[in-house]
Amino acid sequence: MSAGTTTSSSGVRRPTKPPIRWTIWAGLAAFVLITMWAVFEPLGGIGFSIAPLFTQQATAGFYIVRRFFTPDWAFLPRIYPAFLETLYIAIIASAIASAIALPVSLLASRVTNSGRVLYGLVRTWLSVIRSLPDIAWALLFVAAVGTGALGGIMALIVFNIGIIAKLTSETIDGVDVGPVEAAQAAGAGRIQTAFSAVVPQILPGYLSYALYVFELNIRASLVIGLVGGGGIGNVIRVQLSQFAYERLGAIIVGFFVIVVILDQVSIALRRRLV
Amino acid sequence: MSTATAHPPRTRLRPTPPDKTRKTIGMVLLAVAIVVCFWVVEARWSRLPEFPAIFTRYLGFMAEGVFSNPVADEQVGGYWTNAMALMIESLHMAWIGTIIGAIFSLPMGFLAARNVSPRFVVVIARAILNGIRAIPELIWAIMIMLPIFGLGPVSGALALGINSIGTLGKLTSEVIEGIDPGPVEAARASGARALQILRWGTLPQVMPEVIAFWLYRFEINIRAGAILGVVAAGGIGSLLSSVLTRRLWERAGIMLAVIILVTIAVDLISAKLRARIIAGPAGDSDEVHGEEAGVHPGAHI
Repeated sequence: MSAGTTTSSSGVRRPTKPPIRWTIWAGLAAFVLITMWAVFEPLGGIGFSIAPLFTQQATAGFYIVRRFFTPDWAFLPRIYPAFLETLYIAIIASAIASAIALPVSLLASRVTNSGRVLYGLVRTWLSVIRSLPDIAWALLFVAAVGTGALGGIMALIVFNIGIIAKLTSETIDGVDVGPVEAAQAAGAGRIQTAFSAVVPQILPGYLSYALYVFELNIRASLVIGLVGGGGIGNVIRVQLSQFAYERLGAIIVGFFVIVVILDQVSIALRRRLV
Repeated sequence: MSTATAHPPRTRLRPTPPDKTRKTIGMVLLAVAIVVCFWVVEARWSRLPEFPAIFTRYLGFMAEGVFSNPVADEQVGGYWTNAMALMIESLHMAWIGTIIGAIFSLPMGFLAARNVSPRFVVVIARAILNGIRAIPELIWAIMIMLPIFGLGPVSGALALGINSIGTLGKLTSEVIEGIDPGPVEAARASGARALQILRWGTLPQVMPEVIAFWLYRFEINIRAGAILGVVAAGGIGSLLSSVLTRRLWERAGIMLAVIILVTIAVDLISAKLRARIIAGPAGDSDEVHGEEAGVHPGAHI
């Protein structure tokens, strides 16, 4: 083998393979080390193992799993009020959050906000909001205003603002600058430009994000209610604490039938918008 | 009417604005629905006026916790190390969950891609992926993992892993369906067998994007892992929940600070890596803007 090229049997010169870059080896080494750290208990990991699957504990566990899969359908009508509450919470939170998120996303895009300080502040604030999961917001607001729908609504509003504002500000970054320049040339101020040239362009995207967040909120209601924020998760928490697995099975199946139906409605609406 | 359109009178030069009746009716109905929701939901709106005062007070408590000297006050120092240890447990759960998801989602992605697998396999694979995706981590943990694997982070990691298979499998199959058919045809033309075509024609094309999705999923799993703590499936969630239910605001402030800082740090590293992987070593600096490289806007959470 000569340096640079190798010769195959037919005598055609083939280019050599490029050498593997050291960054790939470093990346692989880091991957293996982190994985070992995460898996093995003596190294500070979580002691990951699927061995419990083959022990006595798993046999008892399968008994519980089986109870989940023999749902107590008679319980289903009783979750109707809780489900309605979930729906109300999701609608209110999506509506308020979208209303707040529109001006916020205008402030979070270079196209509509040329001020450096305010732009930086809003972006930082948004990334802090997004770094906390929905459950953390729910815990925080339930602790602040007490259990019930209010805490859940407020938690979802904050959580939703983070998502809508991020997606919408990215859409704003990508708008056609023609209308913006036209508005500026016609003497429009910053706010007038934003609402006459930018908002009409992003409106379909923005509305579809609002619907997307509504879908998320329906799903998030499991989590929100689990920590006392009202809605269907509340029922799950109560039944879980009573080990009523048959009822839980029925609730979960019922809930997901509804989620799938609402998703389809929402997807159909979003398709019409975009 | 043809004469009218051919010679429009001066006053009709502007086109008539499109009919807005249906839009207006829709908006009014939506507004009514929202108002009705405010009306019927049993939220204690009366608490709202006092909320700003309450919130600033609690925020003050939390700030007190975060800004008190952790070296001088041993208890506060303990809170920090404790929160950090649990956050690392959350990271470990998310990491293992992502690996489980990656390992199983890659073959599933190929099985669910229309340009690779036969029709009936695609239908079955997609049904499995959709079913997995429809059920959130929380339910996987409660229904399957906790009964079998007991309380603790192993159940949490498995729940995250199962859910990751669903989302990653779907994204992977979409990437595979979007490949350039050229290399695949070239491999076939030079006599490669089915598996060789996948290995040398398809895989190299999709790998950068697929790895970017894995990293992105890791970010999501960190957040999702917090939920699992509430049902005692490991991670920082369980302590955060008990601290906030007891309204230990100083300690809660410290825990939230740890979560925010670690999450943002991991997001930044991951975004840099993703940008680098998508752009390749040549396009290091420009082209791909940090945060969102290679991720569908709708893929959030």
